[in-house]
Amino acid sequence: MSATSILSSLSKINEKYQMFRTITSDTEVGEAKFLFSAKDNLTSKDMETCSGSKILEGYRPPFDATSIARMREAGGMLVGKTNMDEFGFGTFSTNSAFGVPRNPYGPERSCGGSSGGAACAAAVMEGHVAIGVSTGGSICCPASFCGVYGMVPTYGRVSRYGLLDYGNSLDKIGIISAKASDLGKYIGIMAGSDPKDPTSCMQPDMGARRKLKSVAVPKDATEGVSEDVRTAFINGLETLKSMGVDVATVEMPSLKYAIPAYYVIATSEASTNLARYCGMRYGHQEGDLSLKFDDYFTSFRSQYFGQEAKRRILLGTFTRMVGFRDRYYSKARMVRQSIIEEYRSVLGECDAVLTPTMPFVSPKFSDISKMTPLESYKADILTGPPNIAGMPHASVPCGYDRDGMPIGMQFVADQWDEGVLFSAAEEWEKNFESVRPEVSI
Amino acid sequence: MKIGLEVHVQLPTKSKLFCPCPTTDAPAPNTHVCPVCLGFPGARPMMNGKAIEYGILLAKMLGCTVRDTTWFARKIYFYPDNVKNFQITQYDRPLGEKGMYYLNGKKPIRITRIHIEEDPGKIKRVGDLSSLIDYNRSGIPLAEIVTEPDLSTPAEAREFLGQLIRDIRHTIDIPDDGERSIRCDCNISVGIERCEVKNVTGLKNVERALTYELVRQTKLLKAGGKVVRETRRFDEERGVTISVRKKELEADYGYIDEPDLGIFNVKELAERLKIKESPQNMTLRISKEYGIDERTAKQFVSTSVELAHLFEELAAATDAETARMWTSGAVSAGWKAFEARGGGDTAEVISLVGKFRAGEITDTECNIRIRAFLTGTDTDEVRSGSSDLDSMIGEYLDVNPSVIEDYRKNEKAANRVIGHVMKQTGGACSSADIVDATKRLIEERL
Ligand SMILES: [Zn+2]
Repeated sequence: MSATSILSSLSKINEKYQMFRTITSDTEVGEAKFLFSAKDNLTSKDMETCSGSKILEGYRPPFDATSIARMREAGGMLVGKTNMDEFGFGTFSTNSAFGVPRNPYGPERSCGGSSGGAACAAAVMEGHVAIGVSTGGSICCPASFCGVYGMVPTYGRVSRYGLLDYGNSLDKIGIISAKASDLGKYIGIMAGSDPKDPTSCMQPDMGARRKLKSVAVPKDATEGVSEDVRTAFINGLETLKSMGVDVATVEMPSLKYAIPAYYVIATSEASTNLARYCGMRYGHQEGDLSLKFDDYFTSFRSQYFGQEAKRRILLGTFTRMVGFRDRYYSKARMVRQSIIEEYRSVLGECDAVLTPTMPFVSPKFSDISKMTPLESYKADILTGPPNIAGMPHASVPCGYDRDGMPIGMQFVADQWDEGVLFSAAEEWEKNFESVRPEVSI
Repeated sequence: MKIGLEVHVQLPTKSKLFCPCPTTDAPAPNTHVCPVCLGFPGARPMMNGKAIEYGILLAKMLGCTVRDTTWFARKIYFYPDNVKNFQITQYDRPLGEKGMYYLNGKKPIRITRIHIEEDPGKIKRVGDLSSLIDYNRSGIPLAEIVTEPDLSTPAEAREFLGQLIRDIRHTIDIPDDGERSIRCDCNISVGIERCEVKNVTGLKNVERALTYELVRQTKLLKAGGKVVRETRRFDEERGVTISVRKKELEADYGYIDEPDLGIFNVKELAERLKIKESPQNMTLRISKEYGIDERTAKQFVSTSVELAHLFEELAAATDAETARMWTSGAVSAGWKAFEARGGGDTAEVISLVGKFRAGEITDTECNIRIRAFLTGTDTDEVRSGSSDLDSMIGEYLDVNPSVIEDYRKNEKAANRVIGHVMKQTGGACSSADIVDATKRLIEERL
């Protein structure tokens, strides 16, 4: 759908797909050079921001996130805030307090998470880019499930000012789009140091694009993945070879520790970030004010945090406590260091590490409801490693299963080497025939 | 009895620790605030480099080891004045560790650590059911200095704190604003178990709170009771400490590294920063280096560091004994007036003492001219005033030669002369002038 017609029918599309939490009331494109949406955990001063949580319902931040501000300065118009798993906690966007986004390739299936709304919007709206956020795979997973391109730059490349934190040492802001060339274009707009986020201030220049010449595939990359995903991935490798890319197999034994380490670090940090939501200063406010403050905080938080948020607060609090910190939190930091070193050594020999993005295609909601938390955490097995290492990575569509559900594969490059991923995605797009979903209102 | 202190000092930065809000007195509650110090979602801390500099200076002053890298941590506890429900402080890598600080230059007090942290807001209770919170102080930079339990009495703790505060002020140029910017947690144990008295303000209250605890714990133990490990607070009005919570209920803060600030490499900064000599160290050094007694050295330094500097310059230009004599005499007598006029270049004093030593002018003349220079008065005026004083003292000494003999044994003998002249002049001469002249004339006759 073209840019102008999108806004007029956005509410209707949204009724069907539930990818937006908030839609701007302005239906005129006007002077805007491009349209963009932002995940609902990025602050926008003219719009509610609630990070998929009831606890923040009605919160209107007094400032724009740097990523949104830079997109606006470049002439972009923010069309809405996309739906997401509460505070980014999830792989299927089923943990939002405000409805569940529907996969454009099959409405009974998930869009992936936690940027599910963003990937859905990118898939169904032409001439639009979505800003997403990834902590452990929240951009590549939904991009893969929704058959679009998603890219996460190096940790620190895009300022996190205005991002409602999940895990501060892991969170990265990136782009999801149906067009590969949008990745470089819009990450370029958002990138650059920002004094309001000290971790963005040490970055080198983005550097020139560099043609992808070689990829390394970890030996156990397809272990435990579904048959359809394996087939599509192997076909993808053949296509890459035909494009003149060298493919090598490598051993990366420490990648399998990424998921446990990721969940320990992410939940430890998340449990401290969520401490501020206590019904006192912003967002939802309600309850018996005659209670003692800790009783008030407890009752409010019990009522307005979702199930998964509570689970991660408890998990993260546990791993930080005296007696457990050394065994979990401190250990996880060491694992993280060894994963970074393993990537470094492999990426010294080739341009990118390649794996499938997700171990399976988007599951049906009926199957998701039967999964245990541990089973759904394991879905991040391939997206976890580059995220915990802070490496730039991109998911590109590489095939479809017999039901027409999209499958993706994921390139991981060395830190600050986004240039090779931009050109890899664009070259890939020329060699891969993608199937756009049919969007009916 | 063992006492350890945790001293909180506000660092004199212009803006808060992690945001550009001013640290000056605010016109009204909640006016010096922004998204960062209000803990708004998405806002994050930006380090005030000046606070790190002040912290390093203090760490050096306390003889602490400053490691090459330092970082911050989140200390998580729920309280309404704590905007993020976590406080950004330092945990496993503080700015300074393992220091040593000498009380009166003699008794070693071990310094456990010094770290930087943000202050929370302030709660004001209004009635039974509501409280008002002012976040103007939220994010004000503090340094926390923790000592080992090396202090032995409440009086010693007070003396230590007084000396420490003077040295801190001097090291990082904190203007003297009473004891407003100093808060203290006091740990005290008479037997085995210790109690902590939180948030005591001011030297006097620290001594009072500790004395109360000393008596309370001693009585309890004598009566066969047990001291429970707990946190208490000090009620200034009633002069008593009150139990706040038992130790076993105390929170586990679940510290993690502050991921938004990263690691600070302070090696070069720490090497570059030089500390000014603390008043305490200056006293000890001057006493040792010039062979003068500690009391006199302390008197110079506590009058003013500039006076002590002038003493050192005089000693360099002449000799230590001449410098001591003139500094405690004419120079000290005129110093207050000199400072009141704005102080300034003291080369004239050095030149005058030099002339005296070379025999170009008499001591009386030198004395008059130094006085005239420091007080900004005409030499003739000083001369006429002092000659009267000199002759009055001379007459008394002529009649009472025993004073000279007694003075040899005990300097206090001069008090007889001073008392006599005070009565005679009836307030027409300043006591400092009389003391100075008396000592000078006695020493001439020794
Ligand atoms: Zn502020």
